[in-house]
Amino acid sequence: MAEAGGVADAVAGGETFAASSASSRERHAGAAAQTRPKPRVRQRFCSLANDTESGPAIALAMQRRALLRSAAALCGTALGCSAREAPAGRVSVPFWFTYGGRNRATLETLVARFNQAQTDVWVRAIFQGDYYEGLAKLRTALAAGAAPPLSHVVGEVVPYLAAAGVLEPLDEYPGARSLPLHPALGQAGSFIGGAERPLVIVPFNRSTPIAYVNQQHYDGPAPASWSELQGVARALTRAGRFGFGCPIDWWYWAALVGQAGGEIVEPDGNVSLGGAAGVAALELWQRMVGAGTMKQPPGRDYNAWEQLSQDFLAGRVSMIWSSTAFVRYLEETADFPVRALPLPHGQRGAVPTGGTHFVVLKSAARELKQAAWRFVRYLTGADAAAFWSRETGYLPVTTDAARALEAVGFYAQHPNYRVALDQLEVARPWPWSKGLFRVQRELVQPRLEAALLEQLDAARVLSDARQLAREAAL
Amino acid sequence: MLAALCVFFVYPALSALHTSFYDWDLLTPPRFVGFDNYRAIFGSGELLASLGTTLLISAVVVAGSSLLGLALALAVHRPGRLAAAARSAVFSAYVVSWVSVGLLFLWIFDADAGIVNRALGGLGLAPVKWLTSTRVAPFTVALIVIWKVTGYAMVVFLSGLAALPPEVQEAAALDGAGPLSRLRHVTLPLLRPTAAFVGTTSLIASFQLFDVVRLLTQGGPVRSTTVLVYAIYEQLFRDLRVGRASALVVVFFVSLASLTWLKRRLFREEEPA
Amino acid sequence: MIGERRWQHLALGFAFVAGLVWLFPYVWMLLTSFKTPQELVKAPTALPGALRATAYLEVFRALPVGRYLLLTTVMALAIALLQIAIALPAAYALGKLEFRLRGAAFAFLLSALLIPAELRFVPTFTLFSALGLVNTLPALVLPFAVSAFGTFLLRQALLQVPSSLLEAARLDGASELYIVYRLLPPILAPALAAFFLISFVHHWNDYFWPLVMTVDDSVRTLPLGVALLREQGSGVRWHIVMAGNVLLSLPALALFALGQKHLLRGLGRNVG
Repeated sequence: MAEAGGVADAVAGGETFAASSASSRERHAGAAAQTRPKPRVRQRFCSLANDTESGPAIALAMQRRALLRSAAALCGTALGCSAREAPAGRVSVPFWFTYGGRNRATLETLVARFNQAQTDVWVRAIFQGDYYEGLAKLRTALAAGAAPPLSHVVGEVVPYLAAAGVLEPLDEYPGARSLPLHPALGQAGSFIGGAERPLVIVPFNRSTPIAYVNQQHYDGPAPASWSELQGVARALTRAGRFGFGCPIDWWYWAALVGQAGGEIVEPDGNVSLGGAAGVAALELWQRMVGAGTMKQPPGRDYNAWEQLSQDFLAGRVSMIWSSTAFVRYLEETADFPVRALPLPHGQRGAVPTGGTHFVVLKSAARELKQAAWRFVRYLTGADAAAFWSRETGYLPVTTDAARALEAVGFYAQHPNYRVALDQLEVARPWPWSKGLFRVQRELVQPRLEAALLEQLDAARVLSDARQLAREAAL
Repeated sequence: MLAALCVFFVYPALSALHTSFYDWDLLTPPRFVGFDNYRAIFGSGELLASLGTTLLISAVVVAGSSLLGLALALAVHRPGRLAAAARSAVFSAYVVSWVSVGLLFLWIFDADAGIVNRALGGLGLAPVKWLTSTRVAPFTVALIVIWKVTGYAMVVFLSGLAALPPEVQEAAALDGAGPLSRLRHVTLPLLRPTAAFVGTTSLIASFQLFDVVRLLTQGGPVRSTTVLVYAIYEQLFRDLRVGRASALVVVFFVSLASLTWLKRRLFREEEPA
Repeated sequence: MIGERRWQHLALGFAFVAGLVWLFPYVWMLLTSFKTPQELVKAPTALPGALRATAYLEVFRALPVGRYLLLTTVMALAIALLQIAIALPAAYALGKLEFRLRGAAFAFLLSALLIPAELRFVPTFTLFSALGLVNTLPALVLPFAVSAFGTFLLRQALLQVPSSLLEAARLDGASELYIVYRLLPPILAPALAAFFLISFVHHWNDYFWPLVMTVDDSVRTLPLGVALLREQGSGVRWHIVMAGNVLLSLPALALFALGQKHLLRGLGRNVG
């Protein structure tokens, strides 16, 4: 690529770039020496930050951030030391998490509380992006032998990870079998046959899809059936405003499939994608988008959910389907009253559960795993679980927590938070199928998107997906 | 040096070829599957789609940045502060990271609050689905890439212009040729080798696009911006199909090599070996 | 026919417009970083009410900026210097020494250029994970130790150095090693400078390789960190993302401003 022309000036040697012309080899040796003691780098700079003398690292940092007066104070935080290094004598447990925004702040509060409440364990919470990004990193870390002891994953991928043998069985951990989990939210309730398998997950942020409606636009009863849904959507649609909006996402499609009486994976393991129910679900969306009563938010994955929330808040969509996880955010940010409603029934009421579960990774050292478990116990304690639920909108995972919230009148004041809890009565478990995650990400999700954007034939699209699932022996 | 070269270049190439015949998810032992991976990527149309998308975006980027780079080079190839300022401004985009550019344009092209759509709204035009329409998204990506890399083309053309012997221009001027005619008949033909160079290097570079896609569209909507490298990334990190990812890598390498070879043959008399 | 003067005006006008078009996004980025979330929602296209630093403070709170900055700089420095250290003797061998397989070695190098990082990552990743090196600094630096581009650049520069100079040095008793690492660098300084700058900036900005080679934030680089500012969940906070973006772009732009001459010269020289 680099075919150089005349370089007469080089020999004439006008300018010299002092830094590099000075023995590059010495520099190289210096840099190489720096690269070697990698694990100690961080500690070294941390102690520099705690010095009040200007070490070279601080001088460098200060130069670059001349804007800020309080550079010295910020150096400590910027170098990330004070908040992140474990005080001596504690077991340091890296915890990879994938919550963003408000929920992230709440989690960090809980982590800080835990760290202050005892003196043996220090949890280091590391942000890894969104669920899918974080999962990709977790899997590659597992493959590379660099996995943390604790993280959390979406339900759909649990069977796969369990089958791959990377999850630590939790049955024997102190208190594991007696956690007062809500029946629909633990492993037993979330998966068909989950009770018979070794325990590998503990729920933390669990949710169901619910509908949010702009009370200024609509104050009537929740649509109870699909036709009522379409009717309400039509009534609420006007120029510049859609009556209904829903992310074209696997989760909501699963809800519709359930409501239409179908199962995504049959009891015998056959990936049927709901059969006729699956098609009906997709066609419902296509019909509504086609009729102009439903807004299909653009963007992929959580970008779409995000976008839909913004549209709702700006008054461009009257009713949306989203997760109970956004209750707090929507209530606080909207400048109109927000009402949460349950999803309609089709042939039957059905909602999938969502959110994630804690997993402890088998590959970690025993000490770390046990320390991680202590953190999990803390978070499933009534106080922490109630706090988490009320700050975010996720479901209270234990019956204790739910009762605590009830007792202080929380639900009376915030009826929106109850909707998902009540809806758990019609929550349907996921199949324990190790191909489930692949079915979701590779086969179904892209096709849902395509079917809507390109107006493809729903039956065709799903039968293609079924075919591929068969071929891949999922 | 040869040792390092071997480890980091040859070994990966051969290894990719090797793993492309297996089905492996990194967590469980690999399973030999022969040509299944290749069959899968060709059969599902996914490879052809990514290849097509890559070629489309590359073509737009190479054409756009070369033409624009040439025009800019001609415009700023003169003394004066304005020209110098313009040179720096345009080239600076080349220097910043793709993350910077990606995040920046994600905001600028935001369908709702982004300044472009707001400006269009202000002018009474309908907002454009820059990143969310399957038809428009690839071109938006190409546009952003052009913004970033035109500086490179401009600089190369500038040095090409600087290397032109001034006597030819002067002779033409004396013969009565105006600026436009000089451009057409004298400057441009002399710049052919430069143009070839810019073309080849831009093509190779645009085949390697990844960051901008990852940040802006994640390959969507509906794979309309899934370029080859992004497809490989997805196979590996999203789907954990190392075998398929390797198969894609092999195909990628072969395509790139063929394209480069083709280009060299077409311009053989122009490039000094 | 367009006259000379008209042509000039046209060219300058075009240059002016181009300058604006290229500068505007940065300006917009800067302006956005000063806004409040309310301003972003209500009036995204207006000017910010005041020059606030809140977004920047938030960036520093959310990310260990100093650590990422330091790490990224160390990494890029290590790569650039390592590349120079290896490319110098290689260029020397290919340019000045006579040995049988020279042609073949050269062709080998040329073909290696065709294999960009994106193609190499799958096997390199599995190799490093077998060695337990994923998510460490060596994983970020070593794969780039060899730079075909750099070798070419230096070789071309070397071809211009008269062999008589080298002969004289050898007669004086200089070893080959001495010639490569002591004699040549000052002579090749501009080419080295250009190469250093290009390589440093390129690897400083690299997003792909750190993305695939790191799994948590122990060796996270600044581009990765800033990209993560785009948190999902409660509305993308553009002012914070843009503030992070400003911080990310500044070093590259500053370096560019300082080293402009060398960069443009080195790059421009590569064309026939």
